[in-house]
Amino acid sequence: MATEVAERQRERPPEGRSLSPGARAALRVAAFAGGMLAIYVVGRLALDFLRDKDSNRILIVLVAIVVGVGGVFALFWAMDRVVNWLPESLREGVRPYVYVGPAVVLLSIFLIYPVFDTLLTSFKDKNGQSWVGLDNYRFVFSDPSMLRSIRNTAGWVIVVPAVAVSIGLLFAALVDRLHRGESLAKSLIFLPMAISFVGAAVTFRLIYSYRPEGFGSNIGLLNGIRSAFGQEPVPWLSEQPWNNLLLMVIMIWIQVGFAMVVLSAAIKSIPEEIIEAARIDGASEFQVFWRIVVPSIAPTIVVVSTYMVINSLKVFDIVFVMGNAEANKTEVIAERMIRWFFISNNDGRGAAIAVVLFIAVVPVLMWNVRQFREQEKIR
Amino acid sequence: MKWGRTVALVMAVTLTAAACGDDGGGSSSSGSAPTGGSKENTGEVNLLSAAEPEEAAAYQKIFDDLINSQVDYNAAVESSADFEEQFQIRAEGGTLDLAAVPQPGAIAGLVDKGSLVSLEDLGFNIDDLNNLFGESFVALGEYKGAHYGVPTNINLKSMVWYPKAAFDAAGYKVPETWDDMLALSDQIVADGSTPWCVGFESGGATGWPATDWMEDIMLRTAGTDTYDKWVAHEIPFNDPAVVHAGEVFGDIMFHEGYVLGGADATPDIAFGDAPLPMFDTPPKCWLHRQASFINSFFPEGTEAGVDYDWFPLPPLDKDGTLFAGELTVVGTAGDRPEVVDFLNRFMGEEVQCAMGGVTASSRISPNVNVGPDCYVNTILADASVVLTEANKAGTGRFDASDLMPAEVGSGSFWTGMVEYMKGGPDNLESVLKTIEDSWPTS
Amino acid sequence: MSLAAPPAPPEVSEAPESPKRGRSRPKEQPIGVKKGGWFVRITVLVIVVIWLIPTIGVLVTSFRPENLVDTTGWWTAFGHPFRAGQWTLENYRTALDSGGFQNALLNSLAVTIPSTVMPITIAAFAAYAFSWMQFRGRYVLFVLIVGLLVVPLQTALIPILQLYTRGWVVGGVQIIPDLNLNGTFLGIWLAHTAFGLPLATYLLRNYIGSLPSSIVESARIDGADHFTIFWRLIVPLSVPALAAFAIFQFLWVWNDLLVAYVFLGGTQDTRVVTIALADLVGARGENWHLLTSAAFLTMLLPLAVFFSLQRYFVRGLTAGSVKG
Repeated sequence: MATEVAERQRERPPEGRSLSPGARAALRVAAFAGGMLAIYVVGRLALDFLRDKDSNRILIVLVAIVVGVGGVFALFWAMDRVVNWLPESLREGVRPYVYVGPAVVLLSIFLIYPVFDTLLTSFKDKNGQSWVGLDNYRFVFSDPSMLRSIRNTAGWVIVVPAVAVSIGLLFAALVDRLHRGESLAKSLIFLPMAISFVGAAVTFRLIYSYRPEGFGSNIGLLNGIRSAFGQEPVPWLSEQPWNNLLLMVIMIWIQVGFAMVVLSAAIKSIPEEIIEAARIDGASEFQVFWRIVVPSIAPTIVVVSTYMVINSLKVFDIVFVMGNAEANKTEVIAERMIRWFFISNNDGRGAAIAVVLFIAVVPVLMWNVRQFREQEKIR
Repeated sequence: MKWGRTVALVMAVTLTAAACGDDGGGSSSSGSAPTGGSKENTGEVNLLSAAEPEEAAAYQKIFDDLINSQVDYNAAVESSADFEEQFQIRAEGGTLDLAAVPQPGAIAGLVDKGSLVSLEDLGFNIDDLNNLFGESFVALGEYKGAHYGVPTNINLKSMVWYPKAAFDAAGYKVPETWDDMLALSDQIVADGSTPWCVGFESGGATGWPATDWMEDIMLRTAGTDTYDKWVAHEIPFNDPAVVHAGEVFGDIMFHEGYVLGGADATPDIAFGDAPLPMFDTPPKCWLHRQASFINSFFPEGTEAGVDYDWFPLPPLDKDGTLFAGELTVVGTAGDRPEVVDFLNRFMGEEVQCAMGGVTASSRISPNVNVGPDCYVNTILADASVVLTEANKAGTGRFDASDLMPAEVGSGSFWTGMVEYMKGGPDNLESVLKTIEDSWPTS
Repeated sequence: MSLAAPPAPPEVSEAPESPKRGRSRPKEQPIGVKKGGWFVRITVLVIVVIWLIPTIGVLVTSFRPENLVDTTGWWTAFGHPFRAGQWTLENYRTALDSGGFQNALLNSLAVTIPSTVMPITIAAFAAYAFSWMQFRGRYVLFVLIVGLLVVPLQTALIPILQLYTRGWVVGGVQIIPDLNLNGTFLGIWLAHTAFGLPLATYLLRNYIGSLPSSIVESARIDGADHFTIFWRLIVPLSVPALAAFAIFQFLWVWNDLLVAYVFLGGTQDTRVVTIALADLVGARGENWHLLTSAAFLTMLLPLAVFFSLQRYFVRGLTAGSVKG
């Protein structure tokens, strides 16, 4: 197939063979100018249309798809063409930057700039205006609630990825052996991901719901079970240390689907011969799993674990809506950040806490760099 | 590629035509003379509010009937469950027109960041506003010499609700003093029931109803002057006066058999659920101290004045009336004549009186020209009278936790109350000390 | 070796043009059909049931009348499912009647679809460059992009809003003009695209980078340039991964509340489905009958999207990470 691709390209006749070099150059410039003008005009018309809030929604979607996909693609195509006009020596050096360019530009504006803004603000006072040096950081590492949030977040980062990946892996391996129903089982486990965080919070508030004596019978599942065994209902969300674990359960419930699906497909890509050969050699199923399957999909496990770790570092919604985190001792770093930034209106402290989050991710990144490099060596 | 040339020519012509066309712009406003606003009108005025969705929908209808039909801009009200967060994001981001802010304490910080426009800059006359709303209320929006908020809502907090039909049938009498109220509680206990229903749970804001209790009690034990010092941090949070108020609070909460479910369950009972046992047959509890909005949480079909009623929280050593409300502020994006015009109408009698007639709402207007007959039920009408009297007598005070710096008022005060309830009367002193330590130094 | 059938044919059933990437087992022949029948089935069933319980609770509650929801646990409904007054559609009716729901649905689509297709396109090009092109700063840039996954998007909201309304002024010079993108669809697309790029690039690079180098190299030897390789070779091969990420991004944008609220607002004409339903529920924590029906309504479309495309999802995200 690759050969056909290359041949197709060679078959295209070179441009303007019948024109003189000067005319060819002029044609090129005109074509380029025309292309740019076309893009500009269409873009402007589309932009104005898109900015108008009253436009027909369906039309907006269509225009957006055309502009979004077509426009973006045209942009890359145009830039690639431009690179082709550069002198030979520069061409392949510049091209990669053109390919990653739009991504880098967008990210710089929308994510990197805020990161720097946050970094600067972390050294300023509550209004983000005058410098206070390291005061905010001193606060972050001395306030009992902050320290608790760091400890809790560490708990989240360890427990959630470990449990979610384990269950996901186990389930993926098991469901792979089913004769029928594999698709359905996987879909049902993936279901929680389709529920927004708000939906998941609603779901689990119902499960953890608590009513003391006199306020009616308990409609929450956990307390319902306790009542069935004749036990007193428990206010789960404020009961330490259970409340932390119960909140983690929510995240695990959501994320296992993702882990399972990714790991399942990785398992499916393991070449059959290896498994067969091991079996012929007399390995038990357990050994096959631990000695063959797991090592083969190790890179996928890295990717999934990385994503889970970062998500756990960032967890906020779940903790925030489930009660007063400070009174319940369930604080986590991102929740503290939002509270200081938006509720207490202290920009400096909120920013400092965000920076702690940025620093915490560095070890994960370093691990990824190593994996990245090793993968490339093998390839 | 030959088509390139043709396309280029066509595009060049079209481009020139397009470039010479008009730029998108806003409509200019006509209508009644707005007095301020330096930016161009856009035809849309947006009010961000912390109201419940049904209330907001009702207000939108009022705006449509009374305002939008008469002007050429469109006023829309948005309700948000995450009001504080959205308010701050929009104000700082520069996309806020108007917001009805329940916590005047948040204004100062935003002014410092340059995110709000002062009323003076918009052309409002402060003396006129003082006449309409009373100077103390308008002064709540004052910061660094300028005013930033127009009072647009007020609600009474010092209310005790009770299930009237059952209450009367049981032969109980509405107490006039605090001791009478305690005696009534004892009597209810002796009769085999539980007097008080209390609930403080409110998601991330759990603990706020308890702060209302504390504030009401402060007014009744320490008086208005000490209350003011407490708010301004001229006395520490663990001052003996505050400790005493906390003890009076604890006398009710921790008293054996007084509170349904016990004090330590109160942070786990949603504030909206707390009054419901009053409506059981027979009532499982008989007294519920809560602000005027709570009757919208009562079961459907229950009637004000028939199934339930209220009495003012009785005085103790001193007296005072606790209230809360909203100040409507203008963000930098709202610096437009149409916004000023809307604000004029919004705070005026016509719209305010209509808002009092909304059944889904329990808002009372701070506009002194809005009389009790504007209100859809007697509860609100009576409450509005209480408020007017209190403000005239100078005994009305705004909710302290909404005036204190946010770290305390929306943070440590809430948390401290939860810990008090869970930890019991012995840890009152340490709870108050923690709150005091959290007060920002700047 | 007791497998009944002969060794698996080398073709992968679902992507017609994909090259051999080792031999993937067709579905009819799972590993070790010898062992695991009952144990496997029971364990899977147990896990699935546990996972479903919360969702079932929500589903059942959404069909029960308010008074029952408030007083009895949802499991009691199974005790007498056919008694009168047990079930109702009232909750859903309330949710849908909340006015402007259809409009909210269209708004959601108008926001979600472009916010899904745009990051995929941009990320695909970048992923290709990271995988198959040599340039300085490759590792650093890639790691930087992955690192951006941790940035809480709340920290970006205010700076971006200010950019949208004021533009960017440095030393008195207006570098980025005031485009007034606040409240427009374009503004939210750009935001969602940027927020989705780190994950998109991470996942796509993984996939694209583990396609067999032999293919790419033979194409290069035959004289194809990068653009052609990308467009005619890599993209068709990556359809599973592209579709997979598309589902993921679709779900995320569809269910998003915060970004939509900040950039589009909650007024009737521009609000999306999640806002419409949050409005229905309000700040009250315990209107379970409404909360649950609202939660289910928001779930319906993403579920439909997931079910219809889930075969891509399964195959896509993964195969990249394994040495074929």
